[in-house]
Amino acid sequence: MGDLGLIINLNLLRATLRMSTPIALAAMGLVITEQAAITNIGIEGIMLIGAFVAVAVSYFTGSWVLGILASVAAGVVVALFMAVIHLKFKADVFVAGIAINLFAIEFTRFLLRNIFNTAGSFYDPNIVPIPSITIPIIDKIPVLGTLLSGFKLTDYLGIILVFVTYFILYKTVWGLRIRFVGIHPLSAETGGVHVNIKKYQAMILSGIFGGLAGAHLSLGYTRQFIENMTNGRGLIGVAAMYFGGVTPINTWFASLFFGFTEALGNNLQTFGLPSQFMLMIPYIATVVAITIGMIRKQKREKNNLL
Amino acid sequence: MNDKLRDFLYERQSLLNVFIAVFTAMIVGTLVIYFMGYDILESYEALYQGAFKGRFNFGGTLERFVPLLLSGLAFAVASKASIFNIGVEGQLYFGAITAAFFGYIIKGVPSLVHIPVTLLLAAAAGGLWAVIPGFLRAKYNVNEVTTTIMLNYVAIFFVGYIVNHPFKNPNVGVPQTPNVQPTARLPKIMLPSRANIGIFIALALLVFFIWLLNKTTFGYKVRAVGFNPFFTDYVGVKSKLIMVLTMFLSGAIGGVLGGVEVLGIHGYVLDNFSPGYGFDGIMVGLLARNNLKALPFVAFFLAALRSGAINMERFTGVPKEVIGVIEAVIILLAAAEVIVEIKKRKSSDKGGVEVG
Repeated sequence: MGDLGLIINLNLLRATLRMSTPIALAAMGLVITEQAAITNIGIEGIMLIGAFVAVAVSYFTGSWVLGILASVAAGVVVALFMAVIHLKFKADVFVAGIAINLFAIEFTRFLLRNIFNTAGSFYDPNIVPIPSITIPIIDKIPVLGTLLSGFKLTDYLGIILVFVTYFILYKTVWGLRIRFVGIHPLSAETGGVHVNIKKYQAMILSGIFGGLAGAHLSLGYTRQFIENMTNGRGLIGVAAMYFGGVTPINTWFASLFFGFTEALGNNLQTFGLPSQFMLMIPYIATVVAITIGMIRKQKREKNNLL
Repeated sequence: MNDKLRDFLYERQSLLNVFIAVFTAMIVGTLVIYFMGYDILESYEALYQGAFKGRFNFGGTLERFVPLLLSGLAFAVASKASIFNIGVEGQLYFGAITAAFFGYIIKGVPSLVHIPVTLLLAAAAGGLWAVIPGFLRAKYNVNEVTTTIMLNYVAIFFVGYIVNHPFKNPNVGVPQTPNVQPTARLPKIMLPSRANIGIFIALALLVFFIWLLNKTTFGYKVRAVGFNPFFTDYVGVKSKLIMVLTMFLSGAIGGVLGGVEVLGIHGYVLDNFSPGYGFDGIMVGLLARNNLKALPFVAFFLAALRSGAINMERFTGVPKEVIGVIEAVIILLAAAEVIVEIKKRKSSDKGGVEVG
């Protein structure tokens, strides 16, 4: 029982939230583009480039705010680039995404080598991280303090953005049009919505989210840049997006669940227990969830025909 | 534009676009080398020598050629049935661990038996793993890109578990399997490099699949399914079964790739041993426009670039990451279906004599 207490405790819940933030941020960008019928698996590469830019700008300017802003700007540029390849040059959306991801790995590796003259990772005391926020009063309450206070600014921002995403998609005309584009592009076009412009706008938003996720990863979650440091988190975001049924709130819960399995897996590893099966769960769960979704859809379509 | 030239280009526009992609990327790479202050000619000479000069360097190119060709083949075969197999990475992990296991456990048989048996089992393992996304796509129309990406992680974690726990070599500190028997090792062909007879296995598989897809009824069905599954169902071809079988074959190639790397290069499986061979195949397949006959040329070109890059770094100081950037630009441009579009002339422009 003592061991179990060491593995499952309050810090595990804390770690869960910490690990879920990059996934949730990426997943919100993904929800928006998926609603506009673009599966943006390039979010992984957008995050990675964002993470690099954030570290570089924070290091040279001494400002984490500029780091985040630059990361978001870089994210938007990469997302727009991918959008052009997909929408203008007619690349398959998955191929374009994979291309962006491979590009990001090679390009950041190249920049790491040429700007910081190092391979593998870059850490420096001059990198100014995103600050932690101590919530007054709550901080002093034993359990609540551990659970709610002392996270990075971007951890809180991530949670707020979940609700912002919900608001944008379901309470604004823009969101309605985006969903229209995804559900039936032809009628959207007939109804006077410029489908491609809406898709570009959705991609810009996912660039912003991807950039934020990347900056959080390198300036909040850690304080360094490591080659390929996203390590599939963007793709886990894709998984969370599907698992959450492409809606913001459920996708956030999915991100928390995936963060939990990662945190628990790490704890198991610390005690020399095999963590691999724990770490597999999000991916298996996603495959199962997508399959169930498709079976339901097929049944619905069959019933509609009858 | 001259009419004949236009017709000529129209018929070859996918090839034209590939050349534009490669050419643009090489220009980008050259500019990068130039602006970093290195001598361009000297750099390219070092690159060329690193890829081709001497047994060690040329062997290094051949060694890199094999996984590029096999993963490209795996990707291209699946794409013939309009399936995007992003899961080659996972499939090669299953092939690798299977090869490591049977390469180790089978004892006292000659190489002529040991190698084929081990590779066939590796192929089966990779193929069966690929059947899962193939089945889900065929039966429930679940997007195979997403499932194969997810299943890659499952495969890598699963093999990670095997390598760290039940099948760990107790004599070494790092998580790796015991060495396979000497009878399972693929003979080297160009010492002191690590090039081995895996290259002949890869080329034989290529020839086999060119024959299978172009000269057999099965191959015709695969291409028909890729063209239009509803139509093939209508004329009595079981398109779902064809999809699953194609995915099995694609995964089997991935399995062989894993097996060849283990038996030919390493002799064991190390946790996370693949530097992304499976993803390289996407690039190879894209550049070859999934034309099987073009695969070896693309694979060889990329292998030479990578092999040469190491030499270039050693002798001129140009970081080998430059080649990574070139590759990245190639894949970005190759992803685009059309960079330059040559429109077909209207038949009335052709200037033939009108009949009637």
